[in-house]
Amino acid sequence: MKTLSGFLRRVPVSVLIALAFFVVCALFVPRFAGSGNLGNVARIAAILAIVSCGQAIVLILGGIEFSFGSSVALASVVTVMLLPATGPLPAFLAGVAVVVLVGVLNGALVAGVGLPAVVVTLGTLMIAHGFAASLAGGLPIDAAPSPLFRWPAVGEVLGIPVAVLIAAVALFCLWVLLAHMELGRRFYLVGANASAARLSGIGVRGTVFTGYVLAGLFAGVASVILTSRVGSGQPNLIPDLPFQTIAACAIGGIPLTGGRGSVIQVIAGVAIIAMLNNAVVLLNYPVAVQQLLIALVIVVSVVAQRFAAGIAFDVRILLKGSAR
Amino acid sequence: MTRRGARSDGNGDAGPAPVLSARSVAKSFGATQAIREVDLDLRSGEVHALLGGNGAGKSTLVKILLGALQPTKGRLEIEGRPVVFRSVRHAISQGIFPIYQHLSQFPDLTVRENLAAFALGMSRGLLAAKAMPSDETMRGWLAGVGLSVSLDAPCRGLSVGEMQLLEIARAVAQEAKVLVLDEPTAALTHAESNVLLDTLGKLRARGTAILFISHKLDEVVAVADRLTVIRDGICAITGAPMKDISTRDIVLAMVGKDVAPITDIAPHGEDIVVAVRDLRLTEGAVPVEFEVARGEIVGLAGIVGSGADRIAEAIAGAVAPVSGGVWIDGVPIGSGRRKDAVASGVGFVPTDRHADGVFSILGVLHNTSAASHGRITRRGLLRKQREHRQAHDILERVGLFPFRLDFEAADFSGGNQQKLVIARNLLIDGLRLLVMSEPTRGVDVAARRAIHEAVLEASQAGVAVVVASSDIDELLSICHRVLIVQDQAVTGVFARGARRQEIINALAAA
Repeated sequence: MKTLSGFLRRVPVSVLIALAFFVVCALFVPRFAGSGNLGNVARIAAILAIVSCGQAIVLILGGIEFSFGSSVALASVVTVMLLPATGPLPAFLAGVAVVVLVGVLNGALVAGVGLPAVVVTLGTLMIAHGFAASLAGGLPIDAAPSPLFRWPAVGEVLGIPVAVLIAAVALFCLWVLLAHMELGRRFYLVGANASAARLSGIGVRGTVFTGYVLAGLFAGVASVILTSRVGSGQPNLIPDLPFQTIAACAIGGIPLTGGRGSVIQVIAGVAIIAMLNNAVVLLNYPVAVQQLLIALVIVVSVVAQRFAAGIAFDVRILLKGSAR
Repeated sequence: MTRRGARSDGNGDAGPAPVLSARSVAKSFGATQAIREVDLDLRSGEVHALLGGNGAGKSTLVKILLGALQPTKGRLEIEGRPVVFRSVRHAISQGIFPIYQHLSQFPDLTVRENLAAFALGMSRGLLAAKAMPSDETMRGWLAGVGLSVSLDAPCRGLSVGEMQLLEIARAVAQEAKVLVLDEPTAALTHAESNVLLDTLGKLRARGTAILFISHKLDEVVAVADRLTVIRDGICAITGAPMKDISTRDIVLAMVGKDVAPITDIAPHGEDIVVAVRDLRLTEGAVPVEFEVARGEIVGLAGIVGSGADRIAEAIAGAVAPVSGGVWIDGVPIGSGRRKDAVASGVGFVPTDRHADGVFSILGVLHNTSAASHGRITRRGLLRKQREHRQAHDILERVGLFPFRLDFEAADFSGGNQQKLVIARNLLIDGLRLLVMSEPTRGVDVAARRAIHEAVLEASQAGVAVVVASSDIDELLSICHRVLIVQDQAVTGVFARGARRQEIINALAAA
């Protein structure tokens, strides 16, 4: 029973779901398991994975982040507008800075003023969208194509897409942050019980602020790949990005109540969504069915995790009793 | 030691069948039994005390009686008829009402709305509004439990004691046959506790059966008619009349061995470590001034509302006073910022363990190292082996039980959660002053003893200790000096050796 409990605690249910999903798709979806297709899945998953790293931080802190939906769009507009004058590298950096700046604003309002994260990030979502739309004049701005500008989206290093590499680095950074850094430890403490954290001498405001800025940094990195991929500055680049990332984290098993969450859960959640999207395309289902299926998977996996948590809890009670 | 009391088998005894009884109830989780075999009778018009150490199976039994858990063996009976509770709601519909330790009102609604909400919740259908009781009826309910508040008062403004009475009023309004009170006085002042105990007496006279779960033996002795003690999943005492039983019998039955309070403590050092100067929490209050020597344990005795807990918070740097502050070795510590206070070596064990102390959903290590990250961090990275070693040692010292570093805080009993909070504070780098507020509230005798020993050990290592408590016996047991706190001011001082009655008199003096 001890090993069962340890297993249930260490391996999130979502990982099992992801593995099961992979096996089912490999068996029943034609062309799914080919290496070319799996590369595609990874490419689709890359951006979602990077931004979900930021979302995971904010969720662990007990907050939520909606502003990604337009901060990356604003970044794409700024990047493309600067492109002719500065060249790709400074333009991309400016784009990252824009998203980080939105994170700074979120952090200042949530941590400094003490406003609810939902309200703050919905507000900055609209502010960033307003800026993006007015800068672009309402229409997408095309970027002059150049190899360096296209590199983040289409480049490869040792045969691996750059976007996938960046996602791997982002996930690794999140793992170091959450599992091994003192800052990550503070995220959990503040998210689990902010009052107890404060009384233990932890700078709660600084921790929360840093979390939102880091979330902006992850989204900023993703905005580089996004902008490069669409090759234009688009005020309506990817409005459902916050919902996709929240869905990925929720499917992965990160609760919206704070204090819990891990990299493996982010990976599992993103993998499930990416595989599902890909399978639906391979099976030639329409987009509407795709959305319906994703919604269904969210609900089923969250219910499954609640159920499994109950089992794990029973096993722990049992251990508690036998420990005497 | 194991004393079998009057055990009625439903048909053996004279008198009516018990309102609610558990017959040979067992509950196992997988292969392990939380309760092995327990019998319990609740008769109408009695207060039946249920005691047991943390982890004895007491809360499992209570959950079964309330319908939150199903027994794996044995059965429940209502008035002699077998019954299976499908849910808490079902048990409530049968007249079995829980009065929770953590209150379950809607804090933003008024007293009237809270009373009505329950009536609505228990009725069915869309026309529930018809079930809305009149103001007069509701005032009757409040009067029945000795609660005098306006129906329009928001619940947020009520004291903990008043909220508890409100909760009882709700149950009485639903014609409860059985009230189950789990640690009802844990968060109450002496005065509030007395009101509650009086109310229970009145309800008993009306024929309600009351299951009273408490760690406070004096209350049990004062209010209970019969007593059941559970240890290791079986009854150590089964429904014995209180008059046949001594306090010592009860403690023995609970812990299986004698746990005496601490009577001897080592003398403290000479040099002054902590100086509290001109400390005022509100404008116009009398300033609090006292000093604490190296290794000295100073008690702040105050009934709830006296401000003893608030003074402790201010000394610990958890709230900012309007004037004055705390000097450690002549250096002032920042006021109102725990971060600065911790850096100056000030530990704090807050009053409300659940809300401000433990990180329930986090693991033992996260809980234990939260105030000492500096010791286990190098260039921003946690040194996990060092963390584990450090936590292991300190938790061994405070006697965490079960000794499982892989558990989450919520997996432990209240007493052991408190040990986690205390261990966290003992790990603070350069700990000079440990401030505690109600350190053993809601904690069983064995854990209480372990916590007191940990405090004494810290004081012998030179840490100055300030303990705010409404538990006079606790202060008499471990303090070198007891300050009487009334109205946010120190109104008296007692050296060690003062008698209990002297302190009670001082607390009660106007």
